[in-house]
Amino acid sequence: MQEEQLTKPNRRLSRRTLLSAILILVVIPATILMGIYLLNDRKYYFISLLIILYTMLPFAMVFEKRKPQARELIVIAVLAAIAVAGRSAFFMLPQFKPVVAIVIIAGVSFGAEAGFLVGATAGFVSNFFFGQGPWTPWQMFSFGIIGFIAGILFQKGLLRRRKLSLCVFGGLSTLVIYGGIINLGSATIFSPSFSWQSLLAVYASGFWFDLVHAIATVFFLFIISKPMLEKLDRIKVKYGLIERE
Amino acid sequence: MEIYQLQDVSFTFPLSDQATLSHIHLTIASGEFITICGRSGCGKSTLLRQLKSILTPHGKREGTIRYAGKPIEEADQRTQAAEIGFVLQNPDNGIVTDKVWHELAFGLESLGYDSGSIRLRVAEMASFFGIQHWFHKSVSELSGGQKQLLNLASIMAMQPSVLILDEPTSQLDPIAAADFIETLRKINQELGTTIILTEHRLEEVLPVSDRLIVMDDGAIIADDTPRRSGQALFRMKHPMLAAMPSPMQICAGVEAGIAAIPVTVKEGRQWLDTFLQGRSMELPVVDTESRGQSVANAIAGGGKRQKPVIQFKEVWFKYGKEAPDTVKDLSFEVEEGQFYCIVGGNGAGKTTTLSLTGGLVQPYRGRILIDGKNIAKMSAKELFTNKLAILPQNPQHLFVKKTVEQDLYEMLSGSPLSLAEKAEKVETVVQFLELEPLLTRHPYDLSGGEQQRAALAKVLLLEPRILLLDEPTKGLDGFFKERLAHYLKKLNAEGVTIMMVSHDIEFCAKHGDVCAMFFDGSIITENATKAFFAGNSFYTTAANRMARHVWQEGVTIEDVIALCKKSS
Amino acid sequence: MMKDSFSSFHPIVNFGYFAAMLLFGMLLMHPALQVIALLCALTYSILLNGRRAVKFNLLYMVPLFVVMAVMNPVFNHAGVTILFYLKNGNPMTMESILYGVSAACMFVTILIWFSCYNAVMTSDKFIYLFGKIMPALSLIFSMVLRFVPRYKEQIKRISLAQRSIGRDITQGNMLVRARNGITILSIMTTWALENAIETADSMKSRGYGLPRRTSFSLYRFDSRDRLVAGTMLALIAIMVIGEASGRNDMRFFPSIKMAHTTPFSIIVFAAYLLLGMLPVIIHVVEALKWKSISSKT
Repeated sequence: MQEEQLTKPNRRLSRRTLLSAILILVVIPATILMGIYLLNDRKYYFISLLIILYTMLPFAMVFEKRKPQARELIVIAVLAAIAVAGRSAFFMLPQFKPVVAIVIIAGVSFGAEAGFLVGATAGFVSNFFFGQGPWTPWQMFSFGIIGFIAGILFQKGLLRRRKLSLCVFGGLSTLVIYGGIINLGSATIFSPSFSWQSLLAVYASGFWFDLVHAIATVFFLFIISKPMLEKLDRIKVKYGLIERE
Repeated sequence: MEIYQLQDVSFTFPLSDQATLSHIHLTIASGEFITICGRSGCGKSTLLRQLKSILTPHGKREGTIRYAGKPIEEADQRTQAAEIGFVLQNPDNGIVTDKVWHELAFGLESLGYDSGSIRLRVAEMASFFGIQHWFHKSVSELSGGQKQLLNLASIMAMQPSVLILDEPTSQLDPIAAADFIETLRKINQELGTTIILTEHRLEEVLPVSDRLIVMDDGAIIADDTPRRSGQALFRMKHPMLAAMPSPMQICAGVEAGIAAIPVTVKEGRQWLDTFLQGRSMELPVVDTESRGQSVANAIAGGGKRQKPVIQFKEVWFKYGKEAPDTVKDLSFEVEEGQFYCIVGGNGAGKTTTLSLTGGLVQPYRGRILIDGKNIAKMSAKELFTNKLAILPQNPQHLFVKKTVEQDLYEMLSGSPLSLAEKAEKVETVVQFLELEPLLTRHPYDLSGGEQQRAALAKVLLLEPRILLLDEPTKGLDGFFKERLAHYLKKLNAEGVTIMMVSHDIEFCAKHGDVCAMFFDGSIITENATKAFFAGNSFYTTAANRMARHVWQEGVTIEDVIALCKKSS
Repeated sequence: MMKDSFSSFHPIVNFGYFAAMLLFGMLLMHPALQVIALLCALTYSILLNGRRAVKFNLLYMVPLFVVMAVMNPVFNHAGVTILFYLKNGNPMTMESILYGVSAACMFVTILIWFSCYNAVMTSDKFIYLFGKIMPALSLIFSMVLRFVPRYKEQIKRISLAQRSIGRDITQGNMLVRARNGITILSIMTTWALENAIETADSMKSRGYGLPRRTSFSLYRFDSRDRLVAGTMLALIAIMVIGEASGRNDMRFFPSIKMAHTTPFSIIVFAAYLLLGMLPVIIHVVEALKWKSISSKT
């Protein structure tokens, strides 16, 4: 049962996952599109504000409602803190961030919901150290959704606990999902009006940066995924996360 | 009124065929101060965790535990959380939130108190513990002692009727540890809270304890006042005697006047005076030579001067441009094959000196020579290959792999040796440190002493000629300390130079060749160990403080026992 | 410099103020309102951060403003007033230039408001606000805020320990450095996970997970907070009415169209200025009060 989310029974989990999936995969993009087309001129900031609500609310509500146990909170907090603090282990290599890799591992090991929470928390709290700004919701959303998708794909058997599978997913998700969303974010934040040209320009200018980020993620997953997943398995046994299923 | 009644309690961990606790009978009255001691792995932590069932690990328990007259299973989580306080060993791990005030309120929030009541309780506790000055701080700004005090205060805010502490002072320096014990005494005396704690360092805690429980191999072997428990150990000739405070050990070693076996240094002095009455007092062979002798000749075996391997020449260091000097005008020499101990208070710059020796930080004035070569001009490779190695204070900082064996091989991963050569090296170290039974275990499943041994093994694979140790005895029980000393002596005998910084005076007095006192960024005095402690009047071993009015040269327990025995 | 007085108000007042200013800052396009917002944000940021704010504004905000103002007309060719044609044949319009200036102004204003937000809304205030509605998540945030400095410290210690066995992370080529960084991260992860078990015990031991958990804070909503909150709400109400009545509408495309200035719109401007300057006014009033008290004694 170790693929399942922390401790809850199976059926309720899948319903919750479905609800979250609909919210994240349908409602949020719909809001973004609606915002872009309905609120003309330059009301794109609202979209980012709405996203923080849409991403946080369903997860937060579901999470709060089921009264998580101390050990669940601890696991999420520790992983998010490692993702944030992990950057300082690579102070000598700028732009080399382990966040996405850790979020993916969290999603695979503890499930889609935990993956999302680790990602969003890491994105949010890191900005307590680097400064909150209009970019905060975008980062939270991107990190969170990568963890979420990793969890879902793993549950559906499309993502394996193997290096190759994780690396491919990690590279693509960093490049496409993270890069895609963050660049969309800066396109709406940094350029006052939406046009395909300006979006393309932002994507082009961000490409190399995203590529480095993707390579870093692949590198991290290649080296740390196996020991990290082993460590988490060991912790699951030690915390009794499996036994008390 | 009895707060706890344990009847025939046994406990077995899953997948283990041996009981960790066997047939424990124990009654604890309300308001008692109880100290439990025993070597690592004797089951005392497991016993403590039986007393709060929400923290009890998985396993099979037999017998009954009654809390306040009722079986403990009937006490629900709310009652247990509110009435049974539990302080963990590592102060850092107990703290959950990021602000002091929030941490103080944490338990009360769980219990569902309203803001007004929490405000009052938190204010009371902050005043009682003297926390008000750092009430608004972030937890990360606190010292280790403050953190442990915060753990204690946040539990006391819930006004528990019993307080259980699992080696609460093992990670603290002696001053902070003494303060902590004093606070416990105050809680016990002024609030009447029952206290049950486990402890290795008994000198401070025994004078305030009502009962001392000694455990061995999962069973209680003595349970009485500290004095009578000591007598019981003496009658059994039990090895746990070696963990008792020095005055007790001396009395037991002399095998006289056991009826009044002393617990404190004060009692020890009185006992010694009584003992010496009517006996011809043996005057120690005052080797005036050794007193006047230079440090150089103090190496075991004496004789001629060895070549210096570590030399500090007027070294100055500070951590930042504007920061105060951490090390000031420091000059000293360590000779080849010496066991050199640096003692002194917290924040005096001892650890910085170790970092300077290891080239981890650079002085802004002065020179440091290793083997006669300026360290600033050596590459890391040159310095750390077959020359110098540091055992970090926390051995966990070295573990990378999931078994001890893999971790040892990891150490050699960068070297060009063949697999057979590596295996041979690992084998040598494993034999030297008797690691065989631990090889397949996960490093984090080992006890503190075992972890340290595994870390030492990793470091020794570098085959250093100079070994630097930072507080190696921190948190270890007496047996692990002796074992560590044994290995260090063996290394010493092979010609490895050892330099150690420590708070542990007793350990340095017993095993060091030369001791140096660090104060305010520099070495104040340095001498051969015996002469060093005989020359101090306050900063010295308990045995010396007990006997120095008669024999100034009696530094270790063994010294004093030998002198007593000769005086008949 | 005296500590900012507005920061000492109840978190809900702080948060409400910034939420309103950010919202208005993003929504309102009338040039007068934009200039007022920029002015207020600048003043408050300088009050809060002193010389650092001046440096931040000059060094980052001014160039950002220029770049953004120039970027828009290059990509955006809407608008009817064509000034000239670019080399690639696209028209340069007055509307898009002005729009660029306006958008840049807004963006810079938002960023400066955020710099004030970061100084005033410290993590514990946020966690307090959040803790009321989402106790578990706010506890996670609090724990992460506790763990991150602790982990950074561990990383430092671990890298020292690694160096003292000859593994220097500051030397060697990229690959070696990355490998050593990973070793450190790996050691730190194990350490963090294993030690966190005890933290979970500590939480359980203090009753975490019991029903009816409350959330304690040091903050109290007193009469001072009521007064300021009331003022804020009144000003916000005027703003909302003004916006709803279309008194300060602004349109850029296809052609610029701005509502006429009327006495009511001037009231709206005044309300916005008052709202934006509220923290500064509070600060000045309290400083004067303090001065008069200390001069009496």
